[in-house]
Amino acid sequence: MRQNKLLEGGTLFFMTVSSMLLALTVLLFSTLLGAIDDLMDKALVPDHIQMHCVDNGFGEEGEAAWEAEKAAVAHFAGSRREIREWQICSFLNLDNNSVTLGGSSLTDSTQDNGLCVQGSRFDYLLDLESGLPRVLPGEVYVPVCYRSRYDLSVGDLMVLEGAGDGEDVELVIGGFLRDAQMNSMMASSKRFLVHGDDYERIRQGSRADSSRGKTRAYAQEEYLIEFLLWDGADAGAFAAAYAAAGLPANGPAVTKPLIRLMAALSDGTMILVVFLVSIVVLLISLLCIRFMLLLQLERDRKEVGLLKALGVGRVQIRRLYLTRYLLFSFCGAFAGLLAAFLLKAPLEKQIQELYGAAFGGFRTVVLALAAVWAAEGILLLSVRRVLKRMDTLTALEALFSTRESQTGAGQYRMIGFVAAACAFLVLVPQNLYTTMSAPAFVTYMGIGQAQIRMDIRQTGGAAGTAGQIAAALEQDDRVEKYAVLHTVSCAAALEDGGQINLAVETGDHDIFPVRFGAGRAPIRAREIALSAMNAEELGLTVGDSLRLTGGGKETVYTVCGIYADITNGGKTAKAYRVEGDAPVVWSVVYASLADAAAMDMWMAEYRQFGADVIDLAAYVQDTYGQTLEQLHLASVVATGVSVLVIAVVVLLFVRLIVEENRHLISLHKALGFTGADMKQVYFVRGMLPVAAGVLAGLLLGSLCGESLCGAVLRSFGADSFSFVFDPVQTFLKLPAALLLPAAAAVWAGIAGIRRISAHECCNAL
Amino acid sequence: MDIILKVENLEKGAILHQISFKMRKGEMLAVMGPSGSGKSTLLYNTAGLDQPTGGKVWLRDTEVTALSEDEKAKLRLHRMGFVFQQMNMMPRLTILDNILLPAVRANKEKGGVRRTKAELTAAAFGLMQKLSISGLEERSITQVSGGQLQRACICRSMMNAPEILFADEPTGALNRSAAKEVMRELVRVNREGTAVLLVTHDSGVASQCDRILYLLDGRICGELEMEREAVGQPADLTKKRREEKVNGWLSGMGW
Repeated sequence: MRQNKLLEGGTLFFMTVSSMLLALTVLLFSTLLGAIDDLMDKALVPDHIQMHCVDNGFGEEGEAAWEAEKAAVAHFAGSRREIREWQICSFLNLDNNSVTLGGSSLTDSTQDNGLCVQGSRFDYLLDLESGLPRVLPGEVYVPVCYRSRYDLSVGDLMVLEGAGDGEDVELVIGGFLRDAQMNSMMASSKRFLVHGDDYERIRQGSRADSSRGKTRAYAQEEYLIEFLLWDGADAGAFAAAYAAAGLPANGPAVTKPLIRLMAALSDGTMILVVFLVSIVVLLISLLCIRFMLLLQLERDRKEVGLLKALGVGRVQIRRLYLTRYLLFSFCGAFAGLLAAFLLKAPLEKQIQELYGAAFGGFRTVVLALAAVWAAEGILLLSVRRVLKRMDTLTALEALFSTRESQTGAGQYRMIGFVAAACAFLVLVPQNLYTTMSAPAFVTYMGIGQAQIRMDIRQTGGAAGTAGQIAAALEQDDRVEKYAVLHTVSCAAALEDGGQINLAVETGDHDIFPVRFGAGRAPIRAREIALSAMNAEELGLTVGDSLRLTGGGKETVYTVCGIYADITNGGKTAKAYRVEGDAPVVWSVVYASLADAAAMDMWMAEYRQFGADVIDLAAYVQDTYGQTLEQLHLASVVATGVSVLVIAVVVLLFVRLIVEENRHLISLHKALGFTGADMKQVYFVRGMLPVAAGVLAGLLLGSLCGESLCGAVLRSFGADSFSFVFDPVQTFLKLPAALLLPAAAAVWAGIAGIRRISAHECCNAL
Repeated sequence: MDIILKVENLEKGAILHQISFKMRKGEMLAVMGPSGSGKSTLLYNTAGLDQPTGGKVWLRDTEVTALSEDEKAKLRLHRMGFVFQQMNMMPRLTILDNILLPAVRANKEKGGVRRTKAELTAAAFGLMQKLSISGLEERSITQVSGGQLQRACICRSMMNAPEILFADEPTGALNRSAAKEVMRELVRVNREGTAVLLVTHDSGVASQCDRILYLLDGRICGELEMEREAVGQPADLTKKRREEKVNGWLSGMGW
């Protein structure tokens, strides 16, 4: 059969790229899940963790209450056969304003940074070699995510100002650790591992602060009540039993699947985008290879006719083509796999940093090979289907029927389709990134769009401190508006008679409203709004009733709204007021200033009250920074692949179009049209479908892409989702990123017009 | 004598050797010869469609062989016309659009005389009427006969009022009656003042020309002058006599 380098080169390119992307998806996914599972297995992550802080902090009353609560937990643990191990780990929550890491202050950190010692039975913090770190007195092991963030090295200092009973405590960074529970930046706490002596020293110093009546102790102790269950135990039933037992639970409860989910989400977003890109590219490849094969068959028509006339069977003729395509497939698979292995290293850098290297070995290679062969298999099946067309062609028809021109709309439609697909691929990750980077994204986190957030942690004085801050804000002319919200812990009754703990945020929610998918914010007593995930779990909708018990008093509330919250498993609630005397667990103050330029100075002033004062934009960046970085990386990959695909496809098809139209181009030249005239015509013809396709892709990406992302985010608690557009990005930069390489490809594709001579048309029959 | 075309020592590889001849204004010149003698090659190289390996060609004062590809294209657009054996019409255009094609292109030339669309269409209609193919304007090229299509080609070639018309086997793909129609129109075009250089293997076609060149193995081996038919002479008698003359001459050439 006649060889056409253009068609063969194009076929090989598509087979390689399809294989590469699918293999890359599998490799990255396998690496991520493998690394997360490996870390969680080695660290013996608990199945159920209940966070709790003791009322009245370090006071004697608090200590006594805590002893009683611990005894209750021990009794509960003894009665439950599904518990393999249990422990209570303490976490000394630090004042970020007084901590420096390697010379950098943690003032702007939105994480709850705290000290802890190694778990005695499970929930281990591991070093970078996946072993148990040996922490010496005076040393600290820092979460690995801070290594690059603060440019830290072993030997740098962590300074805790005033932590040692008024004196600074200096700890030398002895290494870095991986915390299987809190690695992800979406987990809002970070644990620093210290020696028991140092922990106790700082803890005692905080007790002294407390006993001296300091407004804010240096560190606030919290507890992680952890349970490791036997394999096969019903974790959901256990959680319900714990809630029903009335045990200490004034903080959120976290489960192992949720930890795994948060870890996967942070870094899995990129892989999801790569997977999307690979599916679209596979589709493009299918269509392009099919089209090119049809073209090749058309050109080989007479040869095929001759073979048939000479007695060569259709199966043998098909085999001639299949053998060639099998060879392409093999080469494409090999090249694709190799490229995937080369490309995965920079993409999995963050995964390896956070979770450790976990190349799945033989299993991963097999999976990658399976992905590659799946891609090639799909393409070959398509080829086989197309080749069957030859079966219906008789020798006579093949030899003597005139060749149909392929200059129809088909090739231009291909270009348009590919341009649309590429525009879609470029736009969706970019729009998702823009949306998640926008200040308004906080409204998906159950937070109103304020400028500043002040966290007042779990001590007996939380409400009092909040009151002082509120009084100051009331007098402060610089403040445009503010809202004080107190979170109380209540028990919500389930339909089956059980109950779950609900952290209900109370106050005026209309000042900084969150995004409601249904209904509205609570504005009266006995109204409650639920996060989308809570509403789903409780089986409630707007208008339904919910029985809440707070401070010993049971009250029926009406669900007035359902809002988006994709943080902490997304299970939160909001009310105007909670009946009964439920203790305030923590308080939050939101504020917006009339002049944002003075924000830094203003925030420093209000830190004097002892609250964690943060810039909300920084909070979002901190929580989702990891995800955003990965999303940005995925966006870059998607853009790179799209630019490459559109350039190759446009070049390929424009060259084919020019080749198909040789006769007509030659005729035009014979009639007096110049080469430049013909180039102009074919340049416009090449660019029109590209432009139309890019426009269609932008529209599709804006509409369907939004629905696609919305569907994914809905599973994390975003009840309604819409893109935030950057008009310059969407309508100028992204189209330019595709149109410019496409234009260059068209220009290269029509270069051959120069070589078509005017007398060619005279020879053609 | 007003010379419109001069060919001097034209060479093209192993196909043409030292070809030299001249054409007068308004002359109809036929090139005949056996297959492979280089007739069509001579036509393409004379018309600037191909570049000879040696020799020169002048169209009046313009040395065709010294022009660039784009300059030759412009020369073909404004001063030459072409009639191909296979007609070579654009398959997706109507008959009228095909005829208008070179004129529309010429209209876009900077500094040239611009004709309005109405003027161009009127000119095309006029030519079509002259060549008896009125009413075929909106038809596609597959909806007309071979003879009609070839006459449309002649219309196309005349739209820019060329000085010379090149025809490569204009009746080669036609039946007898269609061939007669086409030749009648070509002769009419010539009698109106356009020089015609045509390649043919048909002695009947050649007999209608003013002069015939005989090409053999890439060289001119013979030349026959044909006088124009006298006014008043019966057409069929003229035609028969001319054909006999040509056939006799060709026999002498070894045809």
